[in-house]
Amino acid sequence: MSGFSARSRVAVVGYAQSPIVRHADRPLGAIALDVARSAVADAGLRVDQIDGFTTGALLPTSGNHAVVDGVSVVTSNWLAENLGATPRYVAGFQGFGQIPGAVMMAVNAVASGAAEYVVVHRALHNPPSGRYHGNPMTTAPGAMQWSAPQGFFGPLAMIALPFNEYLQRYGATREDMAAVVTEARANGARIPWSYWHGRPIEPRDYVDARVIADPVCILDCDIPVDGVAAFVLTSAERARDLPNRPVYVSGYGMGNPTPGRLGGHWTLDDIQGAGRVVADRLRDTSGLALSEIDVPQLYDGFSPFVWWWMEAIGLCGEGEAAAFCRDGGIEVAAGGLPVLSGGGALGNGRMHGVPQMLETYLQLSRRAGERQLPSATVGLACHSSANYGGAVLYTADPL
Amino acid sequence: MTESTAAPRPAPVRPVPVPDERSAGYWEAARRGELALARCAGCGTFAHPPSTVCPHCHTADPDFTFVVVPGGGTVRSWTVIRDSFLPGFADDVPFVLVDVELDAQADLRLIGRLLDGTAAPLHQGDRVAIAFEHPTADVAVPAFRLEAVTP
Ligand SMILES: [Zn+2]
Repeated sequence: MSGFSARSRVAVVGYAQSPIVRHADRPLGAIALDVARSAVADAGLRVDQIDGFTTGALLPTSGNHAVVDGVSVVTSNWLAENLGATPRYVAGFQGFGQIPGAVMMAVNAVASGAAEYVVVHRALHNPPSGRYHGNPMTTAPGAMQWSAPQGFFGPLAMIALPFNEYLQRYGATREDMAAVVTEARANGARIPWSYWHGRPIEPRDYVDARVIADPVCILDCDIPVDGVAAFVLTSAERARDLPNRPVYVSGYGMGNPTPGRLGGHWTLDDIQGAGRVVADRLRDTSGLALSEIDVPQLYDGFSPFVWWWMEAIGLCGEGEAAAFCRDGGIEVAAGGLPVLSGGGALGNGRMHGVPQMLETYLQLSRRAGERQLPSATVGLACHSSANYGGAVLYTADPL
Repeated sequence: MTESTAAPRPAPVRPVPVPDERSAGYWEAARRGELALARCAGCGTFAHPPSTVCPHCHTADPDFTFVVVPGGGTVRSWTVIRDSFLPGFADDVPFVLVDVELDAQADLRLIGRLLDGTAAPLHQGDRVAIAFEHPTADVAVPAFRLEAVTP
């Protein structure tokens, strides 16, 4: 029994997104203000009506970059204050999976009456100097002492271990991943705001790409960017009076908490176990069978996440995703499953779950233009891996 | 353009562990060439790394003691680091990291460098033994070696 009384009671009613660039020529906070104002206008609202703000503001780097609000991160508090808003509800999500986390908080706020109109935003920054994940530490105190002294450090080594564990366990190969990365880039290449607009790649480009932490090559990783997106959520009742077709939040689920291990040690068992948890929570909250999802937007900040999400939500069996993708199963131009139709993070840039949420929203509100899918009734927007993230289930009609 | 007259910059060094009240026993054992793991006084299970509570019985007073274990284990996964984000490893790349399930307890995992080099063939289920590397004279970091395959 769900008891999820917020089901379909909250809707996304507008959005805006900046261009996705390597280094913006304006401070991140200035871009965030523009984007938030545009999203509010897109929703047919005024800033003074916005009484809720949520985000997950993390600067996702293992590098030693300064964290400055309005410059390298943008918190909801900063955004609200600088918009001149007077919100009743301001909250930040603490973990990874910032997009489902921030949406969940916004949904709960609207459904409870804590706020009427909530802006959910995400601002991502690529520091202008220094290597994105580089860290010149010479001592390893605290949590770092368990991993950095032996050179286990940063997200590429983190993802390399479960990626290889998967390849070994199921007999898949690194070459199988070419179908995922080329699909993300093919779709991203058609999206005007993408950093990779007009730049698709061939399978050979992937196979020949520089390997950094076997089997992870540079093209398995999304590229750091400057970019901001914002969405406006309100109640289903208020949404009826607004200009855009509402897209309803009909379920959500997160996989955490996860077992305590060395920092950054993600095991395949942890990922798969959390995937089953997220799938159960999505079914419980929405009351839907996950086979009803026709717009499954899977997170791809590292390419293996796509395989793991496919298996978690039952698009294929456990251990079958590599072959499924290799055989054209996610090639949207050939009628495959639209898991990366929005280009994902690999096809847009490191927007951390925004491409998945944006594509789901655009498809279900029938605002996706030339990418519009004929059937777009139930969408899923995933972010991070199930063990540290989750997903939000959207519907074009209230359930 | 003038050449700098400053002394050449010292080469980057590997990060060395900073022991604290929860980890001192681990690093002291490593200096003796032993792998010691934190065992909860309440339930007797190992926790690695040890937190302030026991992840198994959830007591807030685990009174962890460090117990020497044989240190053998089974390879669950591995990677070859070809480009490290830690500048101190620049001279060490490429190197192998192995994700090892220790014999001491089911699903107790430790990640360490495999000291056999990148050419050693690896498979899931391969047996490894604990080993130690010494990035500085007074620091020992647990690592692994492949167990000799008996013909
Ligand atoms: Zn215990």
